[in-house]
Amino acid sequence: MTDNIIEVKNLTKIYDEGNVLAVDDISFDIKKGEIFALLGPNGAGKTTTISMLATLLTPTKGDAIVNTYDVKKDPDKVRKSIGIVFQEPSLDIEMKGWENLELHAILYGMSRKNRQVKIKEVLDLVDLEDKADTFVKNYSGGMKRRLEIARGLIHEPKVLFLDEPTLGLDPQTRKKIREKIKELNKGDSNITILITTHYMEEADELADRICIMDHGKIIAMDTSENLKKQLSGDVIEIKFEKVENLLDFPHIIEELSKISGVRNVSLSTTEDQHDIMPNINLPSNMPNITSEMIRARMREVISDPKKMLIAWKRFPIASQMFLDAPLAAKKKIADMFDQKLLEEVPENIKQEIIKIKKGEYKEEEKDFEPALSISCENGGKQLPLIIQSINENNLYIKNVNMHQPTLEDVFLHHVGSAIREESSNRVDGIKKIIQMRQLRK
Amino acid sequence: MSDLNIEDVKMNYSAVWILAKREIKAFWRNKARVISSLAQGLLFLFIFSGGFSSLDITIDGVDIESRAFTASGIAAIIILFTGIFGGLGLMRDKMFGFMKELIIAPVSRRTLMFGRTLGIAIQTMVQVTIILGLSIALGFLGYDISLIWRLLLVLPVALLASIGIVGMGLIISTRLRDFQSFGLIQTFIIMPMFWMSGALFAFNNVPDAMQIIMMCNPFTYSVDLFRLVILGVSFFPFWLDLLVMGGFGTIMILIGAWSFNKMEISQ
Repeated sequence: MTDNIIEVKNLTKIYDEGNVLAVDDISFDIKKGEIFALLGPNGAGKTTTISMLATLLTPTKGDAIVNTYDVKKDPDKVRKSIGIVFQEPSLDIEMKGWENLELHAILYGMSRKNRQVKIKEVLDLVDLEDKADTFVKNYSGGMKRRLEIARGLIHEPKVLFLDEPTLGLDPQTRKKIREKIKELNKGDSNITILITTHYMEEADELADRICIMDHGKIIAMDTSENLKKQLSGDVIEIKFEKVENLLDFPHIIEELSKISGVRNVSLSTTEDQHDIMPNINLPSNMPNITSEMIRARMREVISDPKKMLIAWKRFPIASQMFLDAPLAAKKKIADMFDQKLLEEVPENIKQEIIKIKKGEYKEEEKDFEPALSISCENGGKQLPLIIQSINENNLYIKNVNMHQPTLEDVFLHHVGSAIREESSNRVDGIKKIIQMRQLRK
Repeated sequence: MSDLNIEDVKMNYSAVWILAKREIKAFWRNKARVISSLAQGLLFLFIFSGGFSSLDITIDGVDIESRAFTASGIAAIIILFTGIFGGLGLMRDKMFGFMKELIIAPVSRRTLMFGRTLGIAIQTMVQVTIILGLSIALGFLGYDISLIWRLLLVLPVALLASIGIVGMGLIISTRLRDFQSFGLIQTFIIMPMFWMSGALFAFNNVPDAMQIIMMCNPFTYSVDLFRLVILGVSFFPFWLDLLVMGGFGTIMILIGAWSFNKMEISQ
């Protein structure tokens, strides 16, 4: 028997609908007792990978072994060995908290005595003891999430899949959950954990190894330390004042790349930061919610037309936000709605989307606040040269920031811009030009 | 591995029960559903027994009072409505994501299928009892001491009839993507099965063509057996009724387990 508890070979998933290649021929192994983090932008294929390993989806091609069982041949045995916390809610909201956990414990074959003890233990872990007899529909979002995590831990699985387990939780709970994950992993139970997350510091703290995925492929996989070492030297981030012509950038990037010690230059814009998300006034009665969490949630909603529909229907403020948003943002959203989906859209928004689709609005020029991220050996020494080169091109620097590479830098280095997925076509176009030039070299 | 297998058998057993209990609890907690299902039964009882009271019904040379004929038919019809809509409740689980939790559990799909079916079947048995109780209280079935054992005998028949119907609802749910198709199911499955079951018309009072359609409807045989138990008369021999009901139930459970297996839950 090998040390690997999970072995993945040439795993591929193509969704028939829309012919989407979600996971593209990936292979990796996870050792027993390891914490393995899967990072990547939304839509990179992380969830699809987990779904295949958990036997929720059948792979189109390739093999995966979990705890010595083949996911295609022995799905039931695989299921016995794993626990999973899904990205989307999966609780029965018409039942009480305790009943949800009890049902789970019974489905996983735990004896009455054992499950009483275990349910109490996990409820205690997530601070929900006093809510055990409350209907789940009356829970807050964070409470629901905590209950799901508790549920995934009841039967002490060999492998635990956590698909963004801490998304939308307050810092205290996140810390507590991180500690519990470590405890589960290091203690007697020695559970192997596969986690996906958007919180870099979480992956950095927890994971033995990190795997970065994008477009269904693995683009980097190593320990956090080694990944950071690949970006040896310093990371210099330069923000610019308003830039009239983004087309200057490919040229500048080319010039900067010539400076000795510079390894990589990538462009990102902060455009989306003041996109459809204006200043959010935090509700004063919810001290645990940060604006960052709201933004993360909103980004998630904005990328999925079905979620947007729900938001518009439920929250009047969401429709208002859409109507007030800048044109570029509106266009992006309008593009996601085809004729069929449009039928379900509330009337006032529908009219707006139709107008946008007909092109009744003129495109207004937008102010970009681009930023360059440069990875460079001996950054301090080369910084004057870099700044000089920028000044020669008549660009105005707003601020400069230099630091040792973090996991976030590694991620951005591999995946490109932090907000690439949501960035508009124009910025994409410029990035393509940059890529082409780099390829030609 | 052997101890795993023992655990498996034991677990499936309790898993079926907890899933059945979940259905019953959900029904009982939703007071609107309880009230509307009772009201629907009562409404049927009054409208149909009133509306069809002028027709003469003779089965096997025995004259049947039309109110008794209708009341027994409606008791059977309750199974059709509660059963299919109970089965369609799976749609809710699919939409709210709970289906993922069930489908990832290390129990066989047949266990999931059977637990749910059992829960809804128990629910229909309770409703059938209530409708028959009301019919008796209203004097629709006459007053006879034999009604007691007839009522007791009707429960296992209701259970058997429910299995096929709930199974059908579950199969439809595994295929559906949203609630919008409910209208289609109502029009093309529930209503034809309802009208063509002989619950309201006597089999021998309708044209030949319709008789053939009715004979193709598996639910006709459940209604027939209901009548045999409650009124003591039937169009078909009881063994044929049992055979069709048993066969239909088995096929539905098997297809249901198969479609559970085929169902992919995307996140």
